[in-house]
Amino acid sequence: MTTIQRIWRLRTTLLKLTATRCLDCGYVSFPPKAACPRCGSKNIVREELPKTGELLTYTVLNIPIKGFEDQAPLAVGIIKLGDARMLAQLTDVTPESIKTGMKVVATVRRTAPTLDGVVPYVVKFRPMINSRTSSQKDEATETEEDNAQ
Amino acid sequence: MRDVYIVGVGMTKVGRHMSLSLRDLASEAALKAIEDAGGERPEAIVVGNMLSSLVEQENLAALIADHSGLRGISGFKVEGACGSGGAAIVAGYSLIASGLFNKVLVVGVEKLLERPTPDTTRGLAYAADADYELIYGISFAGLNALIMRYYMDKYGISREEMSWWAVMMHENGYQNPFAQLRKKVTLEEAMNSPVIADPIRLYDSCPLSDGAAALMLASKDYKSLNDTPVKISGVGNALDSPDLSSRFELDSLYASRLSALRAFKMAKKDVKDVDVAEIHDAYSIIAALSIEEIGFAEKGKAPKMWAEGRFRPGDKPVLNPSGGLKSRGHPVGATGVYQASEITMQLRGDFPGLQVGGEVGLTQNVGGVGSNITTLILTR
Repeated sequence: MTTIQRIWRLRTTLLKLTATRCLDCGYVSFPPKAACPRCGSKNIVREELPKTGELLTYTVLNIPIKGFEDQAPLAVGIIKLGDARMLAQLTDVTPESIKTGMKVVATVRRTAPTLDGVVPYVVKFRPMINSRTSSQKDEATETEEDNAQ
Repeated sequence: MRDVYIVGVGMTKVGRHMSLSLRDLASEAALKAIEDAGGERPEAIVVGNMLSSLVEQENLAALIADHSGLRGISGFKVEGACGSGGAAIVAGYSLIASGLFNKVLVVGVEKLLERPTPDTTRGLAYAADADYELIYGISFAGLNALIMRYYMDKYGISREEMSWWAVMMHENGYQNPFAQLRKKVTLEEAMNSPVIADPIRLYDSCPLSDGAAALMLASKDYKSLNDTPVKISGVGNALDSPDLSSRFELDSLYASRLSALRAFKMAKKDVKDVDVAEIHDAYSIIAALSIEEIGFAEKGKAPKMWAEGRFRPGDKPVLNPSGGLKSRGHPVGATGVYQASEITMQLRGDFPGLQVGGEVGLTQNVGGVGSNITTLILTR
């Protein structure tokens, strides 16, 4: 189980989905790194990833790790977001409804309580319904600011 | 650098050892290896372990040395997740190659079955990225499942092709007196076993294990301790990201390829020279990726090759005559040391299970989902 400090430290990265882009070789990394994983350059900048993407692969866990038992079956995927990828939970899906290649959108949802009993919010991805795409983006931003206060 | 030889090996049976503590297991393997090497006292001990915190014990080098009658020697622990054993061998090798010591004992030990399974599986997931992966509740099996689905989709691999690996491993491990799961498995049983993290089923996965293995390493001056020394001709270790999402590719193990290339280059050997190998099949998908990255198969072809009967006794190379992590078991920090012990015995001709022999052997020990990998080339 994680701590509230961890969630607080990662709040910008986890809610705005900030990656690092190397200005020398162009490699985009999420999670963000202190130097470029491909060429080693420290000439990197932070940039926000798109909030919509494509599901590259997924799994459904019948036994999540300790602390997440209540969330079984737990769907987790790797999503292509622009030039990077991100691992995250999938939400608003059933194990049967998930399809590799489907378009997904970021949404802010509760996750398992921390050791201190705080219920943190993280970005999860749900199947994209075209008409709701722009409002979903706004929701992600708003909730991040609420959380930071 | 000075040449380094394996002059003694020792293993415990892998399994659920309710009656043996971590120190009991480690000492049993250590004392067997020392005896196998002729009984001389090592000057240093290097311990490979990942999760001794599960049994509330750290400071393992002191604990094991003291319990084994080696109070006063030098030593420390090395950690590299499931690749801790291989990393410990790299450290032990370096201590001798550098000239600092002449005789070094390497002990890999793990005790995973002490605690309830949820504690152990949570601990194993510490090999992944705590900030960016564990906060989503994904298990180690789940991380491997993400790679497995991606790979099967991309290369059109069938469930049946993947499951042949488990059948083959259990056939091999059935003959290994040190193996945890000494039973044969049918293709139907493997294909229809319970789903752990879709598409990973029970028989795609290794068991949780207790066990210890040990090697006595020595410089050339001391190789006469044992009349059939095996030379560590190549050593390669490489790191990749602990997180999956920033990997260069989702269907390759970059560190497997790099570590194998480094080991082959150092040994002045080619992949075609390998007669027998022990690879790290924690999950069938890791077996497939390792086989391809080492160069035993082209990309996307490994499962088709093993489903067609390749890598079995009589082929070159023979893979995992021990039964691999599937059947022998996976006492995490000990696994790399088991692999080196098994290949040493294969080359010496005294492995008590499926003995296939050969002149050139390879071991590859994988930490995390491919983030800390050690490849060794052993020669007679």
